[in-house]
Amino acid sequence: MTRWGMVIDLARCTGCAACEVACKSENNIPTVSPDQAEMGRATSWMRVMAEPKGAFPDTTLEFYPRPCMHCDNPPCIKVCPVRATYIDPEGIVGQIYPRCIGCRYCANACPYTVKYFNWYGPEWPESERQYRNPDVSVRAKGVIEKCTFCHHRLQKAREDARAQGRQLREEDYQPACAEICPTDAIVFGDLDNPTHRVAELKEDPRVMRLMEDLGTQPKVYYLRQRT
Amino acid sequence: MGSTRRQFLWAMGATAASVGVRWTSDVVWAAQGSGDPGWSPGTERFVNSSCLVCPARCGIRGRVVDDRLVRLTGNPFHPMSRGGLCPRGVAGVQLLYHPDRISAPCRRVGARGAQAWEEITWDDALGQLGARLQSLRQRGQPEALALLAGYCAGSMHDLWQQFLQSYGSPNYIADDYDDGTAAVMELMHGIGRSPGYDLERAGFVLSFGAPLFEAWWSPLQAFAAFAGPDGDNGAPTRFVQVDTRFSRTAARAHDWAGIRPGTFGVLALGIAYVLIRDELYDAEFVARHVSGFEDVADAGGERREGYRSLVMRNYRTEEVSAVTGVPVGRITSLARAFAEAAHPVAVCGPDVTHAPNGLLAACAVHSLNVLMGSVSRPGGVLFGNEAPLAPLAAPVVDPRGRAGLDRGPLAPSQTPFGRGDPAMRFAGAVAAGEAGAVDTLLLYYANPLASALRRQVWEEALQRIPFIVSFSPFHDETTAHADLILPDLLAYERWQDAPTPASYPYPVWGVVRPLVDPHPGARHTGDAVLAVARQLGGSVARSLPYESFETLLKARAAGLFATRRGMTLGDAFELRHQQQMEERGWWLPEHREFEAFWDEAVDRGGWTDPFIDETEPAGLARTSSGRIELLPARLLEALATVGEGRTAYLDVAAAAAGGSDDFPLRLIPYRVSTLSSGTLPLQRWLAETPGLFPDVHWDPWIEVAPTTANTLGFANDTMVWVVSAHGRYRARLKVFPGTAPQNVCAPYGLRHPDGEPANPLHLLDGSSDPLTALPNWFTTFVRLERA
Ligand code: SF4
Ligand code: SF4
Ligand code: SF4
Repeated sequence: MTRWGMVIDLARCTGCAACEVACKSENNIPTVSPDQAEMGRATSWMRVMAEPKGAFPDTTLEFYPRPCMHCDNPPCIKVCPVRATYIDPEGIVGQIYPRCIGCRYCANACPYTVKYFNWYGPEWPESERQYRNPDVSVRAKGVIEKCTFCHHRLQKAREDARAQGRQLREEDYQPACAEICPTDAIVFGDLDNPTHRVAELKEDPRVMRLMEDLGTQPKVYYLRQRT
Repeated sequence: MGSTRRQFLWAMGATAASVGVRWTSDVVWAAQGSGDPGWSPGTERFVNSSCLVCPARCGIRGRVVDDRLVRLTGNPFHPMSRGGLCPRGVAGVQLLYHPDRISAPCRRVGARGAQAWEEITWDDALGQLGARLQSLRQRGQPEALALLAGYCAGSMHDLWQQFLQSYGSPNYIADDYDDGTAAVMELMHGIGRSPGYDLERAGFVLSFGAPLFEAWWSPLQAFAAFAGPDGDNGAPTRFVQVDTRFSRTAARAHDWAGIRPGTFGVLALGIAYVLIRDELYDAEFVARHVSGFEDVADAGGERREGYRSLVMRNYRTEEVSAVTGVPVGRITSLARAFAEAAHPVAVCGPDVTHAPNGLLAACAVHSLNVLMGSVSRPGGVLFGNEAPLAPLAAPVVDPRGRAGLDRGPLAPSQTPFGRGDPAMRFAGAVAAGEAGAVDTLLLYYANPLASALRRQVWEEALQRIPFIVSFSPFHDETTAHADLILPDLLAYERWQDAPTPASYPYPVWGVVRPLVDPHPGARHTGDAVLAVARQLGGSVARSLPYESFETLLKARAAGLFATRRGMTLGDAFELRHQQQMEERGWWLPEHREFEAFWDEAVDRGGWTDPFIDETEPAGLARTSSGRIELLPARLLEALATVGEGRTAYLDVAAAAAGGSDDFPLRLIPYRVSTLSSGTLPLQRWLAETPGLFPDVHWDPWIEVAPTTANTLGFANDTMVWVVSAHGRYRARLKVFPGTAPQNVCAPYGLRHPDGEPANPLHLLDGSSDPLTALPNWFTTFVRLERA
């Protein structure tokens, strides 16, 4: 059974935020005005969190790139009254925008705070329309959105593989963040396929998941710093 | 999986979803009115090119749908990018479609700086510029033309040089990034270029304030070394950062040490002390290739102290610790780790050179590489070759031009080493000199009113220049004062070349090619210069006999084809294969015809020669003695005249001064990786979250230690004035534990959303290293006031 997942090696991540920007570019994430951003209304499906500790000069800091965890047991879908958020058989947690009624229950249920609400209709000035990705819908006012593991790429990859009469390969389906990362800190693939790198890496002794005790069973794994 | 019921629900959800997702694109675009009615999926192409956003010049790949660039990723064939890219590179699409792009050539109609423009045709614009330059030359004043050349990559640099030379102007004024290390290499090795660092094969990188993962020559080069080989088969490079603040690089290095600003060189010599005392240095290398290490008796029989005695006498660990603030044990362990690593290399950052003793400090840092023999060998400092391009046509200079050149540059360098700050010097000379000494100023990717340390001097200078022409594709502070604007195309619409920076150990010649149709109102500055040259005729036209910049590039690439070395860009396997062949003295032609070679170079994104000949003695030193000089005679002479009483290497006693009651905190300006430098506008994706702080959007900020904020009574997020004796600006105070209590860290590259400037460099005290004239970045003290 295919189960799409991600392993992020914190020892490789430099906090450069290329993944963040690549995600915005791939997924038509609109920018908001400075005062809206000030109110916490900027959207970033992938966000590089930084956690500084200690005092100068004994400071340390860890970067956590944080997409949706695509939980195997996702609290967000349980609270959605209209099943606008769902998990597909291959483990991708998605959002059906036309069905979402904007109650924001799921955003409150998600312990990882990865769900963003569109408080206003997206503004697409002419300049920004030019580079929108035609494969990804833009979202309307009043709906929730979040990281999709770039699942539009999966559809395309499947169609291509089918057209060429072959199996889907690991490299055929890679989300934008994994593709851009200059240090290869983000590895993506089928957790249940032993030939995929993620399957091997999730057995690494450094592996951990965020807030595992909540029982959400995230499919995003982190590899801790080397000591 | 869970219960049957849940399985059922999931399956339901999934079915609904896969249908929903399958056509939501169409439905949402049309039904919710947020898309274009005539939407269609379009045809996509992927095209390789090179990024020209910063000096790293990475390989990029554009995804083009119909004729729109929708996405940028890394070129998988480019050895530095390998498919990855930095956030600024990715956000390049927001430059291409930026709302502030200038849409046609403009002529000023209102007062200078009032930003009243009239759009004119290209023929008219080029005609006006050509006529002005023609009459200036006919009046016998070609030297009154000056070019302020900001970011000027590859053949654009050579084209401008050739244009000015054949025209007769010696006033090519560089206004680009200079970290001051080329001067150090010139002194110690007789090789006047910044060092290349073989980071990928280094075992241990000791960085002295180099912003390797942020705003260095090439962050992607450092990332590749940091990530190490895929699959972790090889041991990855170990990075240790010495820094004045807890930078992003310090955060991600394997280890870091905080240091007092301006004391990098003292720490380096403290490490040298341990290397010599414990006999950890490479004595054989030093004996064979280095001069100045041992004491010598000069002709008169008098003893002159060598490097060893100087270091042993002056840089004992305890004293070094007292000056730098780095604990004694730390200095010793750093020295040991450095010496014991398989391939250690010390990297000298711009924070070392922009200090009162910058040149000496940089020499001290590099002396660690010399002591360990980490020069011209794998994992060390390498002086790579430049790509062997065919030169431009032989320049022709007529007597008029010769006379102009002979009058010499308006503001020649007055300092013994390096080039100092040529743009500031030029502005000073114009502001102080006779009116009309400069008749026409060309601005090429330069915006001194935003980036220069002394904005007022530039304001005065601009007032004294009768005619200013800007080639900027965007409106900016200096372009606002232009009389004529000839907007350039962006790198995604034009032909150019993008050689890797000197920090990269071997040459990669990236091709920049149009990814989409060019903006109809803009024109390639290279083509504009060629057109003006044709209009001027005579020696200028004969020096630049190219139909277009594209033909010029192609003519130069013929040099690569002819050298019988290197290859068009390829995957990691092809690169390695080529390297091994060339090591054994082989080279196989990939192409018989130049045309086929050119097509493939363009298609793959460029050319490279991955072979480094480490046995070549000229890679070690090109000094008259053929040895690396630890105490270069020229340096000693210069110290005697302008060194203000300093001796070779640094005065340990002269610890960095402290602040005063009025200005108690030291200002530490720094470059932010995601922000641009003054000639490019902010990109929204980057400005929305420019730094580490998730709640800082767009606003300029400063970083202050928790204890300092407490003492001052400022809460996190207070708006404050940062005030020095030379100016002030407004910023948001962020409490950050990585800041030393006596410092204020101030990123530059931001403005307030309403355009209010916020440049910490405008607060600097204007002092500089007397040996190089590079400005001091860390000698200015400030106070904070509630805004
Ligand atoms: S792109 Fe890679 S290195 Fe950069 S922040 Fe994201 S995960 Fe980390
Ligand atoms: S991370 Fe949040 S949004 Fe994503 S699946 Fe889990 S609960 Fe849902
Ligand atoms: S490092 Fe510089 S050249 Fe490379 S992608 Fe980023 S901005 Fe472009």
